[in-house]
Parts: sequence; C-alpha cells; structure tokens
Amino acid sequence: MRVNPNPLPDLLSALSQNEKQINNDLQQVASGQRVRVPSDDPAAAAGLVRNADQTSEVDQFQRSLSSISGEVQNADSALSSVVTALQRAISLGVQGANGTQNASGRAAIANEVQGILSQLVSLANLSYQGNFVFAGTATQTAPYVLDAASPSGVRYVGNDGVNSVTLGDHFAAKTNLPGSQLFSAPGTDVFQALQNLVTGLQSGTGIDTAIDQVSAAYEHINGQRVFYGNTSNQLSSQSKYLNSETVQLAQQQNTLGGADLTRVLSDLVNQQTSREATLAAMARTQQSNLFDYLK
Amino acid sequence: MSSLNASLASALSGLAAAQGALAATTNNVANINTPGYSRQVPILETGDPIVLDPLTFGTGVRLRTLESIRNPILESQIQQETQTQGELSALVSALAQTQSNFTSTSGDIGGAISKFFDSMNQLSTSPSDLSLRRNVLTAAGNVATSFNLASGHLIAQRTNLDQGVEQAVGEINQLTGQIAQLNGQIAILENAGESAGTFLDQRSQLINRLSSLVDVSVIPSDNTITLTTASGTALVAGQQNFSLSTGTGPSGVQHIFAQNSDITATIVSGQLGGILAARDQQIPGIAVQLDTLAAGLANAVNQVQTAGYDLNGNPATGVNLFNPPPASLDGAAANLTVAITDPALIAASADGTPGSNSNAEAMYALRKQALIAGQSASDYYSTIVFNIGNSVANSTAQQEASSLVLQQLNNQRSAVSGVSLDEEAANLMRFQQAYAASAKVIAAISSLMEVVINMKS
Repeated sequence: MRVNPNPLPDLLSALSQNEKQINNDLQQVASGQRVRVPSDDPAAAAGLVRNADQTSEVDQFQRSLSSISGEVQNADSALSSVVTALQRAISLGVQGANGTQNASGRAAIANEVQGILSQLVSLANLSYQGNFVFAGTATQTAPYVLDAASPSGVRYVGNDGVNSVTLGDHFAAKTNLPGSQLFSAPGTDVFQALQNLVTGLQSGTGIDTAIDQVSAAYEHINGQRVFYGNTSNQLSSQSKYLNSETVQLAQQQNTLGGADLTRVLSDLVNQQTSREATLAAMARTQQSNLFDYLK
Repeated sequence: MSSLNASLASALSGLAAAQGALAATTNNVANINTPGYSRQVPILETGDPIVLDPLTFGTGVRLRTLESIRNPILESQIQQETQTQGELSALVSALAQTQSNFTSTSGDIGGAISKFFDSMNQLSTSPSDLSLRRNVLTAAGNVATSFNLASGHLIAQRTNLDQGVEQAVGEINQLTGQIAQLNGQIAILENAGESAGTFLDQRSQLINRLSSLVDVSVIPSDNTITLTTASGTALVAGQQNFSLSTGTGPSGVQHIFAQNSDITATIVSGQLGGILAARDQQIPGIAVQLDTLAAGLANAVNQVQTAGYDLNGNPATGVNLFNPPPASLDGAAANLTVAITDPALIAASADGTPGSNSNAEAMYALRKQALIAGQSASDYYSTIVFNIGNSVANSTAQQEASSLVLQQLNNQRSAVSGVSLDEEAANLMRFQQAYAASAKVIAAISSLMEVVINMKS
C-alpha cells in the first residue's frame, strides 16, 4: 500500500485543533467562565438564564424588604409613643378621679389629656416617605381630620385597605394596619375614649368609665402593635433566608458556568506539550528525501 | 536478418521513451504542491516485433501514454463530503453570529425581563412613589429595546445571508462555465486518443469547489460529464453550462431560479444549502420564538395593567403598558414599544386608592406564571437560548466530524495520487540510467557503423 507522501495537511490540522483548544482554555482562564456562548453547553446556558433571573429576583426581594422594614419600624415606634401617651392619660385620669381634686385641678388635667389627644392625632397621621402609614391604602391624604361634628372630635377618612408585598417564592408580607383597625376600631376608639376622659374630667362625672375605655383602647393598641413586631421578625428571618438563597444561587451559577481551573490548566499544559511535539515532528519529517542523497 | 539501422532505431526509441518518462517525473516534481494534481506515470510498452523467420526481433520501446493516477470513487466521495462541509460551515458561521445575541449576560432580553419584574416589585413597596413608577417605565422600555435589538440583528443577518446567496450563485455560474469549457478540451483530447490528465485534474478541482457551494451530482458519459444539482437541475451538460439566476421572492428574500423555475427549496447542501437553511429556517425559527415571547409578555402585562387603576384613581381601561402586538405575532419583537410616558398611568392600584399595590403585585405575579407555551417568560427565554445553543453545538460537532472525514478522504486521495519525492527521485535515477544506457548503445552502434564504413579503404 502506498502511503500518503504528504502528511503536512494532517499535521497542520492537528496543529490547528491544538491551537483552538489552547485558545479556548486561555479564554476560560481569563474569563473564569466555562460557558461563554450558549453553544459551549446549551443546557448550562439555559440554566444560567434561569439562575440570572432568580438571582436578580432575590436581590430585588432584599431591596424591597429593606424599604418595607423602614416603614414598619417607623410605624412601630409611632405606636410605641401612642402606648406611652395612653399610659400617661390613664394615670392622669386616675389622678383626676381622686376625690381630693377640685374642679380647677381637674380642668388642668383635662387640658393635659386634651394635649395627649392632639398628640395622638398627629401620631396617627404619621407619614413615611410621603405616605400616610395608618391610612389604609388612601396614603396620599392624612387619615384623621378634626371634625367638631364627630363625637370624638376627629374623623377617619382613610380606608380599610391592607397591602402585602411579595418578598419570596411563597412569602408575602403585609405592610400596614389601617387606622380603622388601630385607633378608631369600633368599641376601642382611642379618640372617643380620650374625648370622654376630657369631658369626664371637665364635668367631674363618668371619669372611671372613661378610664376603663382608655385602658381598653390601650390594651387594643398594644395588642395590634404585635403585628408590626411580627412583621419585623418575619422580615429579618426572610432576609436571612434570602441571603442563603443568594449564596446558593452563586454556587449554582459557578457549577453551571464557571471554569474548572484545575482541569483547564492541566489541559492547557497537555495541549502545549502536544503542540510542541507536533511541531518537532514536522520539523524532522520535512528534513530529507531521496533527492538529498543523489549526487 | 537484423540490421544495424534497426538496432539504431531501437536504441533511439529507448532514448525517446526515457526522455518522455523523465518529462513525466519532472512534471510530477514541479507539481508537487499543485492542489488536486494527480501524479503521472509513464506507460511503456514494447514495440511491435519484426519476424524474420526463424527469428523475432524486438523494435524497442514505445511510451504509450502518461497516465494520471486517480481513484474516481474517492474523488466522488470527496465531492460529496465537500458539499456537507460547505453546508455546515455556512450554517455554523451564521448561527454563531446569531447566538451572540443570546449570551447569558445581564444585557440580554432575559436580563431586561428580570429587571422589569424587579422594578415592579419595588413599586409594590410604595405604589404612589413617582420615581419608582419612572423606574418601571424605564425597565419596560429596556425590555422593548432588547427585543428590538435582537430582532434587528436577526433581520440584518438575513440581509447579509441574502447577499451571500447572490455571491454563491455568481460563483456557481463562473465555475460551471469553466467546467463546460474544460469538458470541451477534454473531449477533443480524448477523442484524439490522447491523455487529458491535467485537464481532468483541473476539472476535478473545479467540481470540488462547486461542491463546496452547492449539491452537485456528477454523471459521466462518453468522454465528458453532466453536472446536476442533487434534485436534478442541470448545471453543465457536456460543453454547455446552464446559469442560475437570483430574483426577489414573495417573502422579500432572494430566490434561485434555473431556466425560470424556482429551485430554492431543492438546494439542501453546499455553502448555498447552508446559507438557505440559516436564512429560511433557523433564523426565522428564532425570530418566531422571539415574537412569541414578546407578544406573550406584552399581552399578559397589558391585561393586568388595564384591569387596575392609575395613580389618579382612574380606571386604566384601554391604557396599555406596551403597545399591543399584532395578533399574527409577526414583528412583535421588532416593533415592541412602551405605550405610556406618564408614570402616573401605571395601574398599580386595584381599587383606585393611590396607596393600593394589589395590581402591581398582580403584575409582579406574572414573573412566575406560565405565559407562553406553558412556561414563564424567563423559562421560555431560557428555552430559546437552549435551542440556539444546541443548534450551534450540533452543527459544529457535525462540521468537525465531516472535516475529519474529508481529511481522511484527502489522505487516501493523496496516498493514491500524491507526488512522492522519494519515488520521483528513484524514477529520475531509473530513467536517467535508461537514457544513458540507450545513448551508450547508440555510441556502440556508431562505432560498429564506422567499422563497416572503413572496411573498404
């Protein structure tokens, strides 16, 4: 059998294969990525698309979560002030109910309670970044307006709307409690109770009933305040979960598309060795033929 | 009874034959690097003997022909494989360009869709915030732009491939013209009983080049060949070639005509086949998937948007976020645009109160919903990426396999037809010696002649 007298094309093609693999390895080393275009590994490329979407989503959940926690913390601290004010109102009421108080003393106390009432109205109209926190979803207008026609002296103009924001695959956090559920809940209307206390102090009758009403309102708000505490806790545990999610997604991304540097580098060494061997072989085979020996 | 003159004639024939054989060797050595050259071997035969009873005398040697050594079956296999190679190369290079639109980075369609939903989630935390609303509009605009860009690239690529079709057809016509001309020269030589080796090599080379462009069938007939496409369209018949032409087809791309009949769909191999496959199947296939994704996403978002209320408390009935894509889906990705510029018009509210985020939440929920072919937008996009990646990977693997086969075939051809310098050096030596020996014989005859001439004096 006659052999191919010209092995050069074979060797050249081996060299170009070498070169291609070396380039590919170098690019992997430089970029740290095994999958640079979809054809490098179509299934991994598709996985990377989904991974990128999930990573982006988790990052966003973290941002949304921190926006919400600001609002929740603000509302919580407002409620804490409300609770303190109500405690003060109760102790003022008890003072006023003391038989030693005369009318002018009670009037002074009534004035003070009136001050607390105004303070509560302004706390209930708390606004955070341009939104009224206790207005339900009518966040663009102050939920409590002074209204002489109303028995409590204030009127709720917000609504009962509650927002919830998705912050995870199966987790949505409620972000607000409407004033109608907090301050002006039927039966435990804070403003009505304080108003009654003021009236009682002024007239000297019904003070004890009014104190009971204020106490009931105090209990109610203290109870409702748990909502914000819970939400805060949920947010911080969700934030931890999202952090671990981020780590997992980054690991997944690396598994899918990251370059295995150990493997790439050892392949690079192999390819270079084989390239040098091929070059040496080429140099040698082209050295001589019969013509060199004919004189 | 033999004569000195007869011997002289024999010796001369030896000289001539050795000279001819040397010429073949020289030509082989000269053509060592000529692509497609088949080595020539001198075919020697003894001259017709003279019978002078009871003796038979030889009359020397005759160089019958210089035969080109080739294996027609190998040549035709090479042509076949060259077609496959041409097709796959064209396809791979087209698809490799296409897939660069779909690299998994944040700048692509998938990233833009993610960012859009992200902005919606952020809006959900404070639905009346105008700057968050503006972010949603910007993100929606980026979604539209990323679809427009990817789609625009596909359109530009089809235009480029279209030019490729015209170029390929031009080259095909040139090659068939040259082949027809060579057919004529070969026929003349072979009819005269001479070897047309060199012309055959040239023609074989041209057919190879033609094979890399289009699927060619070679039908040999007496002293000539007929070339057709695989589906039977005549390209060359003997000394006549049939030009192909291009013309704008119904879909606005170049179609290929042979004698006024449209043969575009019948060309499946060679560079032209690859270009057509990319232009008419692969790229439109991807474009349809992009349109489906763009329309699916836009319609779903619009449906939720129009069911809500804007920041001013007005129902968003008829106020789309994206301009509605055409029902035919045709051009949905290329023409996707955002319909509103006023951020207050985003319907985040479900009841008309400015603080309600329920409709923004509903829009956000679309992220995980099966919007298109049972898949979420992001999953559908990942399927597109998989499909194109897979096409490129498969075609590349096929191309590499085919190029190994082609290399193997070329090796085999070279083993049969390639010029070996060792062999030629040996031949040179052989024919040189034969020439020298014949010359010596002539010298001997000459001295014998001298003896005869000087006999009388």
